[in-house]
Amino acid sequence: MTPLSLNWLPWKVKLVRKRLIRLAFVRIRSQMMIPPLLMAAIVYACLITILSIGFTLTYLTAKIPNFAHGTYAGIGIYISYTVSKIFGLSPYIGFPIAFLLGGALSVVIFLLVIGVLQRMGGGAIVLTISTLAIQIFLTASLNIYAFWLREVYKTYSMAFMLKEFDFYIGGYPGVFPVTLILCIVTVILLHYMLTRTRIGVAMRATAEDPELASVLGINIYRVQLFSWFLTGGMACLAGAFLPMWFQSSPTTGAMIITSIMAGSLLGGFENVYGAIVGGFGVGFSEILLTYWLQGVWGTWVGEYRPLIPMFFLIAVLLLEPRGLQGVYERLSATRTGERLMGMFSRSRGVS
Amino acid sequence: MIELIGTLAGEITGEARLIVDIAMFFGLLVIVAMALNFQYGNAGVPNMGCAVQVIVGAFTVSAITMRLAFWIVESAGIKLLPYASDFDWVYNNQINVHVLTNPYLKEHPMVAISLLLFSMAVALVLGALIGWLMSLPAIRLRATYLMIVLITMADTSQIFGRNMPQISGGTLGVFVPNVFAWYPGDRGVITAVITLAIGLVAFFIFRTMLNSPYGRLMRAIRENEVTVASVGKNVVGIRRNILVFASGITALAGVLNAFYFSFVVEANYQRAWWTYWPWLMLILGGPGNNAGTFLGCALVVAMRRIIIYYKWIFDQYFFFPISYFEDILLGTLLIVVMIFRPSGLIPEKLLYIPGVPYGRLVREEVRVDWRKAPRARAAGEKPRWMFWRR
Repeated sequence: MTPLSLNWLPWKVKLVRKRLIRLAFVRIRSQMMIPPLLMAAIVYACLITILSIGFTLTYLTAKIPNFAHGTYAGIGIYISYTVSKIFGLSPYIGFPIAFLLGGALSVVIFLLVIGVLQRMGGGAIVLTISTLAIQIFLTASLNIYAFWLREVYKTYSMAFMLKEFDFYIGGYPGVFPVTLILCIVTVILLHYMLTRTRIGVAMRATAEDPELASVLGINIYRVQLFSWFLTGGMACLAGAFLPMWFQSSPTTGAMIITSIMAGSLLGGFENVYGAIVGGFGVGFSEILLTYWLQGVWGTWVGEYRPLIPMFFLIAVLLLEPRGLQGVYERLSATRTGERLMGMFSRSRGVS
Repeated sequence: MIELIGTLAGEITGEARLIVDIAMFFGLLVIVAMALNFQYGNAGVPNMGCAVQVIVGAFTVSAITMRLAFWIVESAGIKLLPYASDFDWVYNNQINVHVLTNPYLKEHPMVAISLLLFSMAVALVLGALIGWLMSLPAIRLRATYLMIVLITMADTSQIFGRNMPQISGGTLGVFVPNVFAWYPGDRGVITAVITLAIGLVAFFIFRTMLNSPYGRLMRAIRENEVTVASVGKNVVGIRRNILVFASGITALAGVLNAFYFSFVVEANYQRAWWTYWPWLMLILGGPGNNAGTFLGCALVVAMRRIIIYYKWIFDQYFFFPISYFEDILLGTLLIVVMIFRPSGLIPEKLLYIPGVPYGRLVREEVRVDWRKAPRARAAGEKPRWMFWRR
């Protein structure tokens, strides 16, 4: 045999094999890597899910659609901007701040406006108009803040992205796993809170029947304060993630309210779990459907992206105004549905 | 005759321009706010899509009236630059409109006036149509669903305007023919006068409708839907009719706005402008009565136009555009009014129909022929024959 065989000493074989495996690994990973578009869709869907849950929670406790909900996200966007661009820190430090500040702002809004109007006996329409006024107020404040930043720090903050402040894990931008985990953790915590803790059960009771809940000794005012804190904080937190992937401006918050409402409506306004499915569905399809239609019809479809949540909204209202919850109830009334539910509940235990 | 008016009117400069501007915007917004008062204040239909109907009016002018004007001018023998493709439509627009069409309209006042009337008629129809379309998904459901659908539609219509240059020139906008070219004086004055006149006509139409049995039916729906449905009235149908009718009237404001600026661009018809400000006026003045709407409209319009007119003074002291400060101011004002004066500056009065003895109505059981009651007073009769004991 040639000396070649002599060269193949065991340790060398091991080394080569190691290298080969690593190469294959890298190759496979580069092929298995989730395409950026899908990542964008998942990030957006997760954020819309969190926002939709908050919107539905507000609807459950206050019985109004909060048009200012998207603008809370706008405040989160500027907290991220301030932390990363002005103070030069990682935007991940800004997320807890965003949660606390958003919650505090929401509580202040409840104390000053919504709670007062509710106690005065204002109807749903009056309260909704007041949220519209708050939205205009907050959007104008964000614009003024952006101008102030330009004046003092000489930075352009009218349209920006913070991708360069992100870290990377194995080729993935950090915001992707973080958002996914955040969304899942939020859903699990919310489920735990609503089913296992006193305050969660009190919230559900308040949503069902405030008067009966107060008879049973629940402090409705405190429950409402807590739910407004939670919704504001969650919305602001979700907004703080937005500039990590998507272009943001002071009016972003006013723009994404359509997607939030569509997600919330798709799930059914009276069900938090519906909002999880609905929000994810709307956010996911808003990006993927646009991409797919761009391939089919041409790039001009991209301009009409805001029509997709609109389409969802109208389709849901025409077909089943109570959204997925209504579909679920209708299905469980039929015999097939009953059998399906039975199978499902046996495997899961008593729901 | 026309020349005489022109010389009498004189030049409009300085403060006079501000007054004309306030009058114009008062006329425009009072049409929108009155229609909103008709819908929300009296029937309880929360129309948050005023911007959609206004934008439909404006797009009627830029997409339909302009093509009609071009066709008329071309058939009169004047050669226009090509305007078929998207690019030509926007690029040749200025020459087509200002150099070629406007002189023709100046010489033919009847053509110009019929163009104005035509665009108003088309806007009425299209506005009513869009009102009907908007009512389809959510008019049967709770008011909040209707609000959600209508408020998102404003953005949708803007997206269409932005991306289809054939409608209103996309983001660049298009100039529209000056239908008041025959008027020798200032164009702003005549537009303001015509707008105020249309506002007056709309006021009388709304007042007549509100004082009719139908108006009382609307108020009954606002107070309690279930009761009205239980006596056999078609609540959904009435609400849809109200939305459709008021949408048509609102579209007129879009037409007049387009002719006042002689320019249509989608960015002028934002949700914040054409939905939020009329609502602010309505809540500020007091929903349910037209006097309150007038007062609220006058206050808000005067405040906004004065701030914009003296913008250069404010801009010396602020580092941001003054319009944001205005947003904050008016948003706070709305919430303050809602909290401290929930029924507005002029609260709604109880409905009083002349010719009905309310005292007797309460004391005894009387049947009233409600249809004849207001007419009796107008005919100068004493209230006698309409009431009899059961």
